[in-house]
Amino acid sequence: MLARLKGKWTYFVIAALLLFLILIPFNWSLGQYTVLMIFIGLFTMVTVGLCLLLGYTGQVSLGQATFYGTGAYISAVLSKICGVNPWLAMLIAAVATGAFAYVIGYPIFRLRGNYLAVATLALGVIVYILLRQLGPGGPDGMAGIPYLSIGGFVFDTSFKRYFLVWFFCLAVLLISQNIVRSRTGRALRAIHGSEAAAESIGINVDQFKVKIFVLSAVYASLAGSLLAHQMSHISPGSFSPLVSIIIVVMAVIGGLASVWGAIFGAATVSILKYELLLGFGEWDIVIYGLILMLVMIFMPEGLFVRLRELYGRWRFRYAQRGAET
Amino acid sequence: MAIQVCTERGGNLSEPILETKSLSKAFGGLVALDKVDLAIEAGKITAIIGPNGAGKTTLFNVITGIYPASDGEVLFQGTPLKDTPPHKRAALGIARTFQNVLLFGNMTVLENIMTGQHPRSRYGFIGAALRLPKAHREEETISLNAMKYLNMVGLGTHAEQNALSLPLGQQKLLAIARALATEPQLLLLDEPGAGLNKLEKQELSDLIRRIRENRISVILVEHDMPLVMGLAEWVIVLDSGQKIAEGTAAQIQKDQRVIAAYLGEEVE
Ligand SMILES: Nc1ncnc2c1ncn2[C@@H]1O[C@H](COP(=O)(O)OP(=O)(O)OP(=O)(O)O)[C@@H](O)[C@H]1O
Ligand SMILES: [Mg+2]
Repeated sequence: MLARLKGKWTYFVIAALLLFLILIPFNWSLGQYTVLMIFIGLFTMVTVGLCLLLGYTGQVSLGQATFYGTGAYISAVLSKICGVNPWLAMLIAAVATGAFAYVIGYPIFRLRGNYLAVATLALGVIVYILLRQLGPGGPDGMAGIPYLSIGGFVFDTSFKRYFLVWFFCLAVLLISQNIVRSRTGRALRAIHGSEAAAESIGINVDQFKVKIFVLSAVYASLAGSLLAHQMSHISPGSFSPLVSIIIVVMAVIGGLASVWGAIFGAATVSILKYELLLGFGEWDIVIYGLILMLVMIFMPEGLFVRLRELYGRWRFRYAQRGAET
Repeated sequence: MAIQVCTERGGNLSEPILETKSLSKAFGGLVALDKVDLAIEAGKITAIIGPNGAGKTTLFNVITGIYPASDGEVLFQGTPLKDTPPHKRAALGIARTFQNVLLFGNMTVLENIMTGQHPRSRYGFIGAALRLPKAHREEETISLNAMKYLNMVGLGTHAEQNALSLPLGQQKLLAIARALATEPQLLLLDEPGAGLNKLEKQELSDLIRRIRENRISVILVEHDMPLVMGLAEWVIVLDSGQKIAEGTAAQIQKDQRVIAAYLGEEVE
């Protein structure tokens, strides 16, 4: 009975969130934030992947922007230069990025801890430099990337693209939540808990690490493609190693082991980055570093999870007081 | 057909469930296992004893494939396991517990056991992501089975607790339940009695007997002699990586070399 009620609560929260998301672009006062909300959606997609990898499986990646970048560039090149339909370009980009993650996944997950962190960081640096040197347009990137469209309906305004991005974002969140609450999700958490114990009960540790890495790469690639087809302009700067670090900050603030926290993490950092810290220029990274340190020291379970816990405690106390009177 | 499967599963009485042939393991210059020949009889409780550093845990690690053997081989039900990775050995029917327990601290008691059902269920990422009907069906079986093992070790009232919130004695029972959930034919227990009080040891010994009644072969590594002698139908003694004796509990207690090995340890 209690469990059922708890399940309904989640649906209620999700429904309220959906309603809020739908109302944002319609509401005049919030309308100016539509573009910001689009970025929050895109970053949420990338962050959820990292949550699965880092929060659930315990495998660090400091290179998630790499896959965001390959998704964007493959989509852009195919649709603009080769004239491929943008949807097909997006699909090919996701498959190619997933395959790339699969191929590098096996050697890279032989490494653990700090070595894994350095290797994924290096991956991000290499791909970033390749994009700058060899990517079309070099450091300036590409412009004139075609928009996505369904039939005759072209996603040519922020208002339309907002719904497109959040459709994908919510799909990714839902899929991730389903995975977390499954046999696969338990296997991932088991790997985080103890690799030796996980193997002893038949979990193919190496394979699961690579598979979840591939999934996180596909999420990032989809977000990258959506970015390319909606900005109509991309440049390597959007996929630099710095962005990978920002994604880590988002995941950590969201509470690593919480799928829905990813929205919170992505939103907090995006609002800082695109609104509050605009005056700081490139110094904003110092603030993120500081936030990362403070969160890790004082609430290693993540800001989102901590707030949820505090809320739970407050409600408990409130209920107690209610019972007393 | 059915009869054939039955005899295969039950095992021929004369055929051992596990054999090691001249099994050796060296860490650099240190020889932890030195040409060990073992034949573990199916359906029995076999104890492996020996002083600290004798190589008991190393033997388990080589049998389960965590470490590759330096030399020699391990056969499970007559099949050599040389190139079989650890997770596949678990699927074949070899389960274990660890000397340092190694529960999943990021899960509840019940989830730990459910995770143990991994090799007996199939659905993967796609089934989970899309909540396919087969995922639903398998989850139901997994929960039911997990509850069965939870109750078997007597932790029924602790299902939703975090695994590490249990006292050590119950943690060890949980580790056994998790191993049982893989539905093994051979269960390796590494010092399950260590750190338990008298009552807990009694419960443990009852549990191990019940496991044997379920026709699961047990290899028990244990320092607690009364526990070993009360349970084991066959005792193997390791010292400095070598098998120095084997026999029934009564024979082992009188064996001069065994007594010397244990006395030697006390002098050290
Ligand atoms: N990974 C390893 N690397 C190097 N040496 C090891 C390793 N594992 C075990 N050893 C050594 O191998 C020898 C046997 O160790 P093992 O843990 O198998 O003993 P044990 O019989 O289980 O002892 P105990 O009763 O104390 O648990 C010891 O000398 C130990 O130091
Ligand atoms: Mg040991």
